[in-house]
Amino acid sequence: MSAKLNINHLHSESQAPPPSDRQIIFRLLSLTRPHWRWMGAGIVLALVTLLANIALLTTAGWFISAMAAAGIAGVSMNYFTPAGVIRFLAMIRTAGRYAERLVTHNATFLLLAQLRQWFYQKLEPLAPAGLQSYRSSDLLSRLQSDIEQLDNFYLSILLPSIVALIAVPILFIGLYVFYPTLALLILSALMIVGLLLPTWVVRKTATSGSVITEQRQQLTTAIIDGLQGMRELEIYGAKDAQLAQVSYYSEQLANSQLQINNINAQSQSASVLVINTSLWLSLILLGIALSNNEIPQSQFVMLLLLSLAAFEAVQPLPMAFEQLSATLSAARRLFSLADQQPVRAEPEEPASLSAQLARQPLSIEFKQFNFSYPKQSQQVLHNLSLVVNQGEKIAISGPSGSGKSTIVQLLQGFYPCPEGSVHIAGIDINHCSGEELRQQLSVVSQHSYLFAASIRDNLLLAKPSATSEQLQQACDIAAASEFIEQLPQGLDTWLGETGRGLSGGQARRIHIAQALLKNAPVLILDEPTEGLDPITEQQVMRAIWQLMQDKTVILITHNPRLLATVDRVYQLD
Amino acid sequence: MNKPSSKTELSAAKTWLKQQRHYAGQLLTLSMVCSIVAGFCLIAQAALLAHVVSQIVFADSHWQQQQTPLLALLALMLARVLLSKYTEQFAFRGASEIKLALRKELYLKLTQLGPSYVEQQHSAELSEVLHTGVEALESYYARYLPAVAFCAIMPLAILAVVLPVDWLTGLIFLVTAPLVPLFMILIGLKAEQLNQKHWQQLSRMSNHFLDILQGLAQLKLFNASRAEAAAIASIADQYRRSTMSILKVAFLSSFALEFLATMSIAMVAITVGFRLYWGELDFSVGFMLLLLAPEFYLPFRNLGQAYHAKMKGVAAAQQMLQIVQATPARRGTKKFTARADQCLNISYQQIGFAYPEQRQALQNLSLQIDSPGLYAIIGPSGAGKSTMIDTLLGFLQPSEGCITINGEDLVQLERASWQQQLAWVPQNPQLIYGSLLQNIQLADPNANIAQVKAAAKKAGVDKFISQLEHGWQQPIGERGAGISGGQRQRIAMARVFLKQAPLLILDEPSAHLDADTQRWLVDSLNDYAQQHTVIVIAHRLQSIQQAKTIFLLNQGTLSAQGSHRELLQHSRLYRELIAADEGAGNVR
Repeated sequence: MSAKLNINHLHSESQAPPPSDRQIIFRLLSLTRPHWRWMGAGIVLALVTLLANIALLTTAGWFISAMAAAGIAGVSMNYFTPAGVIRFLAMIRTAGRYAERLVTHNATFLLLAQLRQWFYQKLEPLAPAGLQSYRSSDLLSRLQSDIEQLDNFYLSILLPSIVALIAVPILFIGLYVFYPTLALLILSALMIVGLLLPTWVVRKTATSGSVITEQRQQLTTAIIDGLQGMRELEIYGAKDAQLAQVSYYSEQLANSQLQINNINAQSQSASVLVINTSLWLSLILLGIALSNNEIPQSQFVMLLLLSLAAFEAVQPLPMAFEQLSATLSAARRLFSLADQQPVRAEPEEPASLSAQLARQPLSIEFKQFNFSYPKQSQQVLHNLSLVVNQGEKIAISGPSGSGKSTIVQLLQGFYPCPEGSVHIAGIDINHCSGEELRQQLSVVSQHSYLFAASIRDNLLLAKPSATSEQLQQACDIAAASEFIEQLPQGLDTWLGETGRGLSGGQARRIHIAQALLKNAPVLILDEPTEGLDPITEQQVMRAIWQLMQDKTVILITHNPRLLATVDRVYQLD
Repeated sequence: MNKPSSKTELSAAKTWLKQQRHYAGQLLTLSMVCSIVAGFCLIAQAALLAHVVSQIVFADSHWQQQQTPLLALLALMLARVLLSKYTEQFAFRGASEIKLALRKELYLKLTQLGPSYVEQQHSAELSEVLHTGVEALESYYARYLPAVAFCAIMPLAILAVVLPVDWLTGLIFLVTAPLVPLFMILIGLKAEQLNQKHWQQLSRMSNHFLDILQGLAQLKLFNASRAEAAAIASIADQYRRSTMSILKVAFLSSFALEFLATMSIAMVAITVGFRLYWGELDFSVGFMLLLLAPEFYLPFRNLGQAYHAKMKGVAAAQQMLQIVQATPARRGTKKFTARADQCLNISYQQIGFAYPEQRQALQNLSLQIDSPGLYAIIGPSGAGKSTMIDTLLGFLQPSEGCITINGEDLVQLERASWQQQLAWVPQNPQLIYGSLLQNIQLADPNANIAQVKAAAKKAGVDKFISQLEHGWQQPIGERGAGISGGQRQRIAMARVFLKQAPLLILDEPSAHLDADTQRWLVDSLNDYAQQHTVIVIAHRLQSIQQAKTIFLLNQGTLSAQGSHRELLQHSRLYRELIAADEGAGNVR
């Protein structure tokens, strides 16, 4: 299933009508509420800086014409005050701009931390069952870029909008006091640049965000296909066809980008047009006013400059709103994901598994158990009955798709078990909290994940209180010490994303060391030797034998040597 | 790729970026011309506006008497509107042309460098360079370069207008202008380092979040997932603190610029005001100076804003330069002609090969393949199996020794004509965009439909074709979605049967296959090997026990060769491999 279908699928899950743009914006705003002080401070500073700048130009305009008039008339005037005001405004503007940048950036980073934490807390209960369709890393990086898109909401959309909203009335009143007709002219021009143009831009770019996202994905796919399949493509002479494919997607993307750029260029030149036309009309209006003696000579230049400088309040808006549709659709995707209910609701009053374990041995029993994944009709497990008593080692084997890995997921409490029963130490699994279930389990599988952190941190995840000696011991038993010692920084070697830098066998041994450290009573091994070459496989297997001692073991494998070590084999079909 | 880059690398990247401008033709130049002409219009507009205002306000001229200058003013304004549109459009069209051309050039270069280079540098990272890296150049060409040109001309033009009419304002400009770049450089150097650190941290934090999301299930298993929320918040907060301390300095450079600009504008206003008062200056000149003062500093501010675009562009260029500067294998020109009996005689003669900055991958490797049959190449991982095959496919050239085909040196042969003799099946056969039929036809574009279908049937493609909604015409989408590993392998074998190449090479063909498909594959290979040369790179050893000759590689050289039975007798390493394989081998 393609990425796009999955997203649609997620959307169709929510029964309620999709939230309107306004609802999305309000929700975004409410998310940012904890940091309103910083955000507000940033807005105030931006406003002060803006007004200081406009006032600077206006005062300077008034100053030079008043001085010229006084000079011509040969009267004296108090020039110290306006000269001082000009210097003062210049300083306010400069310092204000610096402070504004610091404060707004600080607010942005606060929001960024807030958003990530909020989103993580929403996502955490959903994982992994609710995120099945997000498994591919394409979609995850999409998630990530969505969050990054929201990072800019405050700085590039919210701030200029609010500043304009406050500044425009102030400027209007300022002009109105001197010359109402001019004020009305400027207000309408401000509305065109600050309201009409942004609306036009939003409408024009409404779909382009998602189109570009998709085109980018197609381009990456074509490039990666071409690079990874290079031998084959060249040998079958299909090299040029692939190049054509890459060029095609590259051009498609470029065309969409040019379209957006055209819209930007048009809105930009439209705002230049509006500003200049209004300057020109102001000139004539002021000329009329002067000849009718509606304004004094000394105000002419001041008002002309004020009506020009006023546009600084709205000029960033058309460009800012180009981002709006992308931001809204990013927010929409994130909210729809965050609003999902966990696939397995935690029991309200969970039975205490640890208390039960003090009285009873830890047995696992599936009785006439049926299971199908949520929203799928196909039954994965059918009439399964299976018992593992404490200390027993059993194996489950069967062709792929027979539900072996499903059992692992169920025991970790990732899915509800409505049909038939699963009991752990005599307690219905549906009554156990997921955390308590997982406390009893260690899982080693080929899908186990290593984090981009040091080997030590990865190990400590399994047992945060472990001492260095305990880590060392676990690595020794897991046959991992040998290769770790060869690494330049030993246990403190930093692993790249998804444990890059380690071979499959090395990663598997670290997972075994993790399981040793966790020392849970039940051990689940899901194809623990899959994907390893024969020699590594042997090394890993030795470590696994160490791990299996004194544990209740559920083993999923084809490996005959591992199968030979268990008490019973359940064959699924 | 993340090492701090040396000065020479940086300047090489900058030079290279400038050289790539030619791809845009005249577009970037046009954009710059438009923006500079618009700048001239602005100067004229300021002069004209000052003149009109001076006439109306101080010469008591009625505004209706100023019709001609007013109309000229309007014309100048409209010209600026058009010019601003073209400035933007030309710049982005130019940048777009460059991006398209560079992406194509880099992709072509990678195909010349061959698959082993791609694997060494990681295909995912290279694809990032080709995609996001190339995109990062847009702002460099469309924003930064025009800003540089504008900054080089506009302040001078304004100065040229201002100096003759008022030396004092000109002096203020002249004194402050050099200070702007000076401050920018002084603070900018520090800020650049800090800024680079900032971007590194940002991407690290971003990657951390992605990493946590990917590993959520694992965190849950250790019941550590809830605690992680606090960690995410604290990492983001740490990032905020460190970045803010960086920004305090980084913003200083723009602070200095703003300070200088604003203060000199204020100074111009005040000095002009006083001289107007004393009657030393005409109002039209004074007003023009006031209008031009902010415009004098604007280009510097634009340049400061485009600075980040420059840094990103240079960083991307450094990565591209690594690809551009890598040297591909030399290409032979001699056409390869197959012998009438189609039998190939392949001879490795004391082959040595080392990847750049790595230990010897092959050394003194000699072997012969002189008749049809099934040959296997085995050995522990890192023994040089893939390197050896890449030299035969023509993707790598041995640094020592030579490979001859029917007595001809492979290096001298034209790669395409040699590759016509080859068929290749990798672990994950690649499917191309197109129908199922086209995917098979790829192997021999001249084949007719009947031949394609016959080959497909032989490969057992007909076994699953009924499951496909559109049968032969089934479109095969991105990365062959919906086609299983076994089905891919059958499609790949159909290509082999269609091409009937004298030499077939397979890389670990039985990986990821179910038992049925594995058995079928072994049978088809044995069958094909009756008349052709088949070379299999194998990790699992059961499937190649019937091979005519098994070549056992160890540490880049031939450790032993012979049949399964011979090797069992003579080679200890082989016995170890077999023991490990049998012990661990999967029964399915």
